[in-house]
Amino acid sequence: MGLEEKLPDEGFVTTTLEKAINWGRKYSIFPLTFGLACCAIEQIAAGGSRFDIARFGSEVFRASPRQADLLIVSGRVSQKMAPVIKRIYDQMLEPKWVIAMGICASAGGPFNNYAIVQGVDKILPVDVYIPGCPPRPESLLYGLTLLQQKIQHERLRDRRYGQRSEAARPLRETVASPKDAKVAEPAVRYEPKAR
Amino acid sequence: MIETTQAQAAGATPAAPLQNTPLTDTGIAALAAEKIRARLPDAILGTYTYRGETTLTIRPQDLLNVARLLREDAELSFRHLANVTSVDWSKYPGYSARERFTTVYQLLSTNSWRRISLKVPAPGGDSPVVPSLTSLWPGADWPEREVYDLMGVRFDGHPDLRRIMMPHSWPNHPLRKELPRGGERVPFSMTWEDEEFESFGKQIIEARAVQQVPPKQADANKHMILNMGPHHPSTHGVLRVIVELDGETVVAAYPDLGYLHSGFEKQGETIRYKDFLPYTDRSDYLSSMCNNLCYSLAVEKLMGVEIPPRAQMLRVILCELQRISSHLLWMGTHIMDAAGMSHAMLMYAFREREQLLDIFELVSGARLTTSYIRPGGVWRDVPPSFAERVGDVLRTFPAKFDEYEKFMNDNPVWRARTEGVGKLTAQQCLDLCITGPMARASGIPMDYRKIRPYSGYENFDFKVPMATEGDTFARYIVRLEEMRQSLRIVEQGMKNLPDGPVWSADRKMVPPPRQELDVSMEAVIHHFKLWTEGMTPPKGEIYECGESPRGEEGFYLVSDGSAIPYRLRFRTPSFHNLQALNTMSKGRLVADLVVNIGSVDIVLGDVDR
Repeated sequence: MGLEEKLPDEGFVTTTLEKAINWGRKYSIFPLTFGLACCAIEQIAAGGSRFDIARFGSEVFRASPRQADLLIVSGRVSQKMAPVIKRIYDQMLEPKWVIAMGICASAGGPFNNYAIVQGVDKILPVDVYIPGCPPRPESLLYGLTLLQQKIQHERLRDRRYGQRSEAARPLRETVASPKDAKVAEPAVRYEPKAR
Repeated sequence: MIETTQAQAAGATPAAPLQNTPLTDTGIAALAAEKIRARLPDAILGTYTYRGETTLTIRPQDLLNVARLLREDAELSFRHLANVTSVDWSKYPGYSARERFTTVYQLLSTNSWRRISLKVPAPGGDSPVVPSLTSLWPGADWPEREVYDLMGVRFDGHPDLRRIMMPHSWPNHPLRKELPRGGERVPFSMTWEDEEFESFGKQIIEARAVQQVPPKQADANKHMILNMGPHHPSTHGVLRVIVELDGETVVAAYPDLGYLHSGFEKQGETIRYKDFLPYTDRSDYLSSMCNNLCYSLAVEKLMGVEIPPRAQMLRVILCELQRISSHLLWMGTHIMDAAGMSHAMLMYAFREREQLLDIFELVSGARLTTSYIRPGGVWRDVPPSFAERVGDVLRTFPAKFDEYEKFMNDNPVWRARTEGVGKLTAQQCLDLCITGPMARASGIPMDYRKIRPYSGYENFDFKVPMATEGDTFARYIVRLEEMRQSLRIVEQGMKNLPDGPVWSADRKMVPPPRQELDVSMEAVIHHFKLWTEGMTPPKGEIYECGESPRGEEGFYLVSDGSAIPYRLRFRTPSFHNLQALNTMSKGRLVADLVVNIGSVDIVLGDVDR
């Protein structure tokens, strides 16, 4: 039932380099080992045996930002923590993505006060927002699959160094709600075998 | 009955027997006041008793002497400084000529486990100064720094008075009453078509780092200063530790907090009593049930409301399940940090924990942030399948705990990394205001479920696990045993679960049920008052605490008679316990620092609030 079954006899497929690279990238997103508050606990739970983030190729949590592709901002971002998160984000190498997990990271949540930055998108570009307080591990996994879809459709030239912030994609494409979820195109195009 | 023998051996303790003490809080306060008057005739400015607790108002210049007397006196022996906080009275109704700021201290006697509160009006108007208690309790260090940071009260004689929660460049003291809560306007009517919407997510602002002030005790010329955190996999959150190293030996470890400071107290002082409940879930997110309970107890005490037995029993059962789930997570992460067994223990712990989270989800609809236990009762009665699910836990867990114990106790790596590491003596624990399993592992029999039973804990038969070694291994043993005792409590609770309502019948606090609205005008009025205005406790101030998995979780509430707390102070165990890090790590290897952080069982939301 795997790729082998679907490949034509000749054993080659045609696709664009962009698609092939994105296809590879999206199934091997290494998140950063980084937790802020309550959501971090659900993030760990997503890594546990019950929810098993390994099914989506993202179980390798990297402790160093230099080895990570994905920053999951899991919790409230305080005024004191904001520069630290910004620095961590800057330390990550391209390509890199950000998930704002939970309402605090997305918009400040219940903590509408002097201490909390009202949404991490004020300091760095966010790719996927996950609602919930905290979101269940399933929500995180759903957010991750949305990110995978987004990665599949990315243009490599938008990823050039320094291009990222100007070429931020319109927000409405990246909101994690089922209404906006698009069905992913198959990553590898193939011609069905003539019978 | 608390086993005091081990504690006595460790020298922590109480000369007189703990049980059957005839004294009440007011009784011991009267005794204390008598003794203070005999020695320092002018020290007491006033006494105030509310809901069975007495507060003595002390003249600032006598504070140290009074505190010393209360602490050293063999009969009183108020050796545990539970809480240090302050109140800004400037917006309090009727405030006029008295001092604007007051510092408040809660002391607990380790002899009779009775509590007394001290209040000190701080002279100096808008820039108040009071004497520091750090010379008596080194553990007053952080709480006093917090009061300075958030309220701007200076402590005379404090060794290192600087900000602790906010960045060093922060312009004000946020808990002062003249300052607004802050935050942003929330647009509720956004649609996709709004132009403003398009700008969201793209307004990248500069996040300017604040130059950190290194602790003045650190000697950078002689030693190496190493920064650890706030993003570090072993700090269990956003803790930053500045470590002073001589080779690989830790000379001192200075934790730098506030990276998750969320303004809980300010938030609590701007919303109604019942609205603060969900915030308690989010402070110590591993023990939300226990936080809910402590907050509910505090509000109920302020209102003077009794809770029906079924609700009390459900509260106990759920809190104990929460305790197990919290300890399981601690065990998984701590063992992963220390013993290099990779993910094995974490995976086992999470497997078991999921079973408990399913129960929380069953009763409250949420896995972590439950908000199930509420002031006045519990949210709803438990569904029928609750008993069956809890039965599963009771049946399967004991064997699993045995398995873990075997797994860990026979593990040479685990033992080598924990035995003798992070030692704390009983005296050090008392000095540093440490509570919970950490204190019990050092031989202090302080467990609020036993010493000041609440919510019906006095009806349960359980032991308070104790150890005397005071090292990391002892803490592990204590927590493991606590999980077993919690199972016993849950078992008894399920067996004796009474029928009946789960909400108090007090209509000043709990809205009437729907059926009553159809037949009673009074019920309609109560309903309307409660939902439009909220509960309004009488004027007064109380401190109430309970035993969370990490230690003493307390609330100090000041009511001005309105529906919004005038002052809400959240005393959290992790914040006080973390102070021990320096003492534990000094002179040990830097690798032990990681083990020590884990063994404190901190939750950063609980530390920073």
